[in-house]
Amino acid sequence: MSLLSDLFAGKVLDPGYAEAAARRAAAGEEAPRRGRFRHGGVLLVLALVGLLAAVAVAEVRRSEPLAQEQRSRLIGEIRTRTAESDALQRRLDRLRAETERQRVAALARSQAGREARQDLAAASAAAAAAPASGPGLVLTLADAEPKDGPRRRADDGRVYDQDLQVLVNGLWAAGATAIGINGLRLTPTTAIRTAGEAILVDYRPLTGPYEVTALGDRDRVAEVLRGSAAGRRMRDLKERYGIRYDVRGTRSARLPAAGALQLRHARPQGEGTRRP
Amino acid sequence: MIALIGLVIGVVLGLLFEPTVPLWLQPYLPIAIVAALDAMFGGVRARLEGIFDEKVFVVSFVSNTIIAALIVFLGDQLGVGSQLSTGVVVVLGIRIFSNAAAIRRKLFGA
Repeated sequence: MSLLSDLFAGKVLDPGYAEAAARRAAAGEEAPRRGRFRHGGVLLVLALVGLLAAVAVAEVRRSEPLAQEQRSRLIGEIRTRTAESDALQRRLDRLRAETERQRVAALARSQAGREARQDLAAASAAAAAAPASGPGLVLTLADAEPKDGPRRRADDGRVYDQDLQVLVNGLWAAGATAIGINGLRLTPTTAIRTAGEAILVDYRPLTGPYEVTALGDRDRVAEVLRGSAAGRRMRDLKERYGIRYDVRGTRSARLPAAGALQLRHARPQGEGTRRP
Repeated sequence: MIALIGLVIGVVLGLLFEPTVPLWLQPYLPIAIVAALDAMFGGVRARLEGIFDEKVFVVSFVSNTIIAALIVFLGDQLGVGSQLSTGVVVVLGIRIFSNAAAIRRKLFGA
């Protein structure tokens, strides 16, 4: 630990000056030389130090607004893209309604067509391919109010993706026919997951409070949910973490059709059994 | 006096012309400044002790900045650039503080 002991003894100082002084004393000169040119050296070096410092400060100042600008540009891009995908969703809804209208007209001509239409209606309701409306429940989940206290952690009282997953699965199990979160329709395969601090439903970020709308027989769904594991978990969250959990019935709720529907088995005619 | 004038001239030049630093040079600028500060404090201390030597001053400034930048450059090539620059800053920081302590003792006798 010679570095530390040198440090405490004050010996880490540059010995260059002392050595130069000793050399001069040995050579018989008493004062340091002070020529005109040597003064210029000091002036030059210090001007260089000042220049370096000023340039560094200017650099740091210049890069700060740049980062800010990039950040706001990214936020703007996110907003634009979200608006674009909203517009596309609206166009999809319009086209779907048009297709549905034409399909009804085409299938109404024969008995077989009418039967096919009924099958199709049942299948598209189950796959969330058509808008749905009717009586239902509206369940609200919201992050707990931040409490002050020594044992409080940052993520105490936050609604997680698992909470929403459990609630949605509980609602399906309780007999809900259609479910949406904050106006986004869920299909049986829609993903609910967390990315960073945001909950993504169908890969779109949502912010709380989360309003889960479930269509179906109001009283029955509410009763079954109350007795289920999902209902108990929600009550636990409410009691233990202060997360807001409200259930209210509604006489008529509307849910749009789900976004992208992936066809897993059906293929356009003419493609045969070829895999895409 | 002449030192102060030099410093002011440098700052004014830097603020007036705002030269753009090439990107490859930017990581070495702060280290070079810390090294230059070390040389400066050493010079002030030697001046107060009456053994100031301009040749030692100029040589120590040039070698300090170049060696500090070289160490960081080498570290960057080896992938330990940030650790090495931390090391350089710590060592130079210790020297600056002890030089400053010597200056303080000379000036205030405390």
